[in-house]
Amino acid sequence: MNAADDFLLNAREDAIAFLAEEGQVTYAQFRGMCAHLCAELTARGICPGERVAIVAKNSSFWAAAYLAVLKLGAVAVPISNLYPPEEVQRVLSFAGCKFLFLDKPAQVKYAALCHEQPCFLLEKSLLQVQAAPWPSSVADFDLDSDAALMPTSGTTSRPRLVRVTHRNLQANTDSIIEYLQLTAAERIMVVLPFYYCYGASLLHTHLRVGGTLVISNTFTYPETVLDKMEQTECTGFAGVPSTYQILLRNSTFPRRALPHLKKLQQAGGKLHNALLQELAASRPNARIYVMYGQTEATARLSYLPPELLSHKLGSIGRGIPGVRLKVLDENGSPIQPGETGEIVAWGNNISPGYLNDEEASREKFRKGALYTGDLATVDEDGFIYIVDRKSDFIKSYGHRISSYEVESCLLQIPQVVSAAVVGLPDEQAGEQIAAFVVRKTGAALTEQDVLQHCRAHLARHMLPQTVIFLPALPLNAHGKVLKSELRKMKATA
Amino acid sequence: MQTIQEALRAYIAQNILFSPDGFTYTDNDSFLENGILDSTGVVEMVAFIEDHFKISVEDSEITPQNFDSISNLAAYIRSKLNHKH
Repeated sequence: MNAADDFLLNAREDAIAFLAEEGQVTYAQFRGMCAHLCAELTARGICPGERVAIVAKNSSFWAAAYLAVLKLGAVAVPISNLYPPEEVQRVLSFAGCKFLFLDKPAQVKYAALCHEQPCFLLEKSLLQVQAAPWPSSVADFDLDSDAALMPTSGTTSRPRLVRVTHRNLQANTDSIIEYLQLTAAERIMVVLPFYYCYGASLLHTHLRVGGTLVISNTFTYPETVLDKMEQTECTGFAGVPSTYQILLRNSTFPRRALPHLKKLQQAGGKLHNALLQELAASRPNARIYVMYGQTEATARLSYLPPELLSHKLGSIGRGIPGVRLKVLDENGSPIQPGETGEIVAWGNNISPGYLNDEEASREKFRKGALYTGDLATVDEDGFIYIVDRKSDFIKSYGHRISSYEVESCLLQIPQVVSAAVVGLPDEQAGEQIAAFVVRKTGAALTEQDVLQHCRAHLARHMLPQTVIFLPALPLNAHGKVLKSELRKMKATA
Repeated sequence: MQTIQEALRAYIAQNILFSPDGFTYTDNDSFLENGILDSTGVVEMVAFIEDHFKISVEDSEITPQNFDSISNLAAYIRSKLNHKH
């Protein structure tokens, strides 16, 4: 089945699909907009297999454009609306996009692109369109055809786009719904962009169960988001580590009742143990799902059942339904508890590869398995604990040091909001450990205080040589810390 | 003496926009709509305001009404300073 058909399978026509800036949008309206845009694409001569970009903030219109592209059998290319124009242009050319959907702010920002490329403006008038009939289904639809090309958060010089097929989308969506036990009663607050695989997974899963997506396009003012969650009685929330750090240490979240909030999803990097414990303590009635995944796996690969959160603190759990995960050593053999190896994954959600990048595809995808590049250890029960990214490991005086472990230690200090640790070139040590620390506003924490805490809790070889206080850590568009920027920052200081 | 507005404009131009041309928006322009501040930018602003104006900003006060333009911020800071004295 086409993934667009699959996503709308359970929609009750009068149920609310979106609560967004444009107002309340029912499933009937949403399906109407999708059909209208599908007819629009056909009228503009877009054929199955051709690529169509979407550059806009989250809205029901974004989702309708996306589903219309999928339904037509064309390929969606979601692009960040935070990119500068030249970056958007690079992705458009790299993917060979034939058509572009954008919203008003994007139209202003990318005015030059609109002259060169056929495009369609996503705006409020879409809500009033006469719905075209829902296109009929193709009998021999190829499940392994590309549905979307998802940008990864890599920092390589040319765009890297992950091919995601209709089979990938449906497999991952079904697994996530199963372990999160999602139903039509869900009402999730979405602060993550749909062009990011984690944000897209929220869209897929909540449409598929016929739930409601409440959209907030900015997390700049967390209080506004929290007010909206209260007003709309949100049952779910999903965030990356920086989202939860802000909620826990720079907002009224821990003190708010939010009685309807029952499911919290956390993925997109490690939320350190001290913060996870704070989160659990502040939300005794919510189920907290720590999850792990990659764009190359559509979105999700593992989750830790909420009831095991304190027992298996710091673990990313085990494979989600339909996904097999193994941690392999350099010879390809499964590691023993306590040893470290690379996480390798199998399942119908694993992408067939990158677009136009055979070398990178060969390295990452081997014999149907995804080599994640994440180093991990396992315990006796088979639960997986990420030790570090292969590339973030610090090698100092012959020791291999996990930046995660040092960061966890720093975050135990209550006056610390966030912290990142990197290795910097050092003639004697090979690499020396530098800690970048963000203090809570008004906290009088000194370098000596930080080092004293580390000395009390870390092995000698793991102690940072330098502590640098920053007002904030550099983050990419997905809220991940840009460690490359930190290395540069120190090198030029 | 530098006014509250001047101090805010100078801080944002130098530390958030990295703009050599100073603060090129009007005092009523929304920080959000113009992409001037993001969530880390707000945290930086709070630190600056607490330090520079010697006031304490509560988490619950970090709202668009208080923070989302030079004018809003100046009014908020003025009311906090008045309360203090």
